[in-house]
Parts: sequence; structure tokens; C-alpha cells
Amino acid sequence: MKLFAQLGRMTLNQKLAALLLVLGFLAVFLGDPYRRAKAAIDDKELALIVEKQVDHVSAEELADWIIQGRADYRLIDLRSEAEYAAYHIPTAENIPLTELPNAELMRNEKIVLYSEGGIHSAQAWFLLRAKGYKAVYMLFGGLEEWKDKILFPVIPADVPPAEEKRYAKMAEISRFFGGTPQTSGETMTQRPNVNLPAPAPVAAPSAAPKPQGKKKKEGC
Amino acid sequence: MNAPFYKYGLFNDEVSLIVAVLIGIGFGFFLERAGFGSARKLAAQFYFTDMTVLKVMFTAVVTAMIGLYYLSVFGVVDLSLVYLTPTFLLPQVVGGLLLGFGFVIGGYCPGTSCVAAATGKYDGWVYLLGMFLGILVFGELFPLVEKFYYMTPMRTVTLPQVLGLPYGLIVFLVSVMAVGAFAAAEWGERKMAAKKAEEKS
Repeated sequence: MKLFAQLGRMTLNQKLAALLLVLGFLAVFLGDPYRRAKAAIDDKELALIVEKQVDHVSAEELADWIIQGRADYRLIDLRSEAEYAAYHIPTAENIPLTELPNAELMRNEKIVLYSEGGIHSAQAWFLLRAKGYKAVYMLFGGLEEWKDKILFPVIPADVPPAEEKRYAKMAEISRFFGGTPQTSGETMTQRPNVNLPAPAPVAAPSAAPKPQGKKKKEGC
Repeated sequence: MNAPFYKYGLFNDEVSLIVAVLIGIGFGFFLERAGFGSARKLAAQFYFTDMTVLKVMFTAVVTAMIGLYYLSVFGVVDLSLVYLTPTFLLPQVVGGLLLGFGFVIGGYCPGTSCVAAATGKYDGWVYLLGMFLGILVFGELFPLVEKFYYMTPMRTVTLPQVLGLPYGLIVFLVSVMAVGAFAAAEWGERKMAAKKAEEKS
């Protein structure tokens, strides 16, 4: 009762100061807010995504995006720096998987991940989804698929007339990215040894490779 | 966790600019209500006759600190996504001194000069013009100062990291510091007022 009487005599400023001290004191026991940023995931939503495969971008789609010079997404190469230096898909940025948690990615960005096969990108996809990134996609089949489908597509020796256009486009896309279309007559074993195009061949004139992605300027 | 709203994609770049304008107007409004549209009031801070600037600014600091801290503890705000200005120690110390000189000489800081200009004070307009001129000159001379500009980088650091103390403890210490500063400021103001009254009589 005495406490309340005393509270009544305090000015508003004194009350606010007292509140500040109380809240500040409680903070000592509540700990570090950064460590509370735990990852959480909605398992039902996840199951639905996996089932419907909406989290995938096919190699063909990605090739189209690059040729069109679309800039509404960020392409992330999850492999090591050395592998990235040897070859990467044009416009890709290198963020090795281990550094992904510290990478400056924004939750409102569309992010396309790829690795050599599919495992690392799937792990990275899960990590980012769990951290609340909404628009994360994986390159279906990874770089392997990119090589098979885009850089070195196999074109049958005798293309049926109805399919001619499709294969011509395939060959063109392949050459655009510095690859070589393979004819099915040739031996397939040769494929993995084909010289990969030089790193970051310049894509379409409109699609100048983005150096670091779009760095947002913030602060005052 | 569903904030900061912008980082979670609740609105796009354009809407964020509208939000920025609204927050800016609010900021200006409260600066004006605190009396910061007047260079006399601001300059009085440096003579310790009126400690309003210290009290208002420290109040803003602790309000933001307590608010952000509790919102993140309750899982509303993801603090790791809140932008922190990277520290470049030496250039920022020099920049701070420069700003301090300007503040003492002219009586405004950038924010309050906008408030002064908006409330029809000529010196506020001079400040605004000077600010844009300074930005232009700095921009043109940037290649010359670029090396200095990026000197002594410390990336983004916070007090708990620098001092190696638990986050909650820092919140408490800053709160105590603020209350101490408020009490000292009020005491100082009374002293200065008494001294002034003595001189008059």
C-alpha cells in the first residue's frame, strides 16, 4: 500500500524512469535476443512444396531467364571458390554453403540455388526456408543437369521434322552459353571432358553479369 | 518472427519509400514539439543551460533499445535483420567532430535544420542549402578521400560484442546510465538557473 502511495506522488517522468529501470533490470535475465533467432519450419507446408515440386527451376527455365536478362532473382553458386572460378553459370554469385548463414540475402528476394548435384542445394534450400526465406528455388539436378541439358545437349543424328525446331533451339542455347551440342552418334564418354566454357561468358547484352547482386543501401 | 516488415517482403521498394516519408514526417513533428526547430534551444545545450537535447535523444535511444529488445525476445522482430551501420572508426570520429563543430557554430544538426526550414526559419534554409552543397562537393571529391573513408573498418559491431558482456546486461547498464544522465541533467539545469538568477540580482 505504501508503495502505491509513493507511486502516486511520483511525477510522470519519474514513473517512466522507474519503468525503464525495471525493464532494463529484467533484461539481465532474459538474455540475448540474437540467440533466440531460431529456425522454424512448417512441416505441412514443406511437404506440400516437395510434393508439388514448386521449389524447382529447371535448367531450361534458368537458361531462358539468363538469356532474357531477367534481374528479379539471385542465382547462388554454393560450391567452393575454386570450383566457382573454374566454371559457373553466368550471372551466378558464389556463396559457399558454409557461409550461407552469414550471407546478405534478403527474405523478399527470389533466390535460385545450385550446387554440383542436388544435395548441397537441397540442404541450403532447407536452411533458408527454415530461416524464413519465402522464395527459395533449386536448380533441378544442379550443375550436372545444366551441363547435360544446356551446355552439351544430345541431339539425335536424324531429327524428325516435327522436332527440328526444338532441337535447333537447344543447339542455339547451348552455343549461347559457350557449350557444344553433341550428336548422339558421338561417344557419350567424351562428354564430361569437353572443355567447359571460360568462366562467366558474357550473356546477352542486356544481361550483364551482376557483380554482387543488388546491394541495397540502407541507413541514414 | 514477422518483422522487420520490409525484409520479410510485406511491401516492396515503392511502398517502403512511402513508409519512410511517413516516419520522416513523424520524426520531424516530434523534433519540433521538443523545441528543436530553434537554434537557440539547441545551442543552449552546449552552454549546459538547457539539457533538452540530451534528454530527448537519450530518451529516444532507450525507448528504441527497450522496444527492440523486448520485441525480439518475444519473437516479433528478427534483430539479425535490422540494419546496422558498419563502423569505420577513424573516419567516423573525424566525421563526428566535424558534425559537432557545425552543430555548435550554427545551432542545427541535419535533422533539426530540416525542422527549422519547415517552420520558416531562414537559418534553417541556409543550413539545408549548405548541406546539399556539401553533399555535392563531397561526392565530387570522393575519389580523393575514398582511402580515408574506408579506413579502420570494424564491420558492424555492437556494444555487447565490443565489451564482451551479455546483451541483457548492456540493456540494463544503458538504462541505468540514461536515468543517471536524466537526473544529472535536471540537477545541472537547476544549478545553472540558480546561478543566472543570482547574477541578475
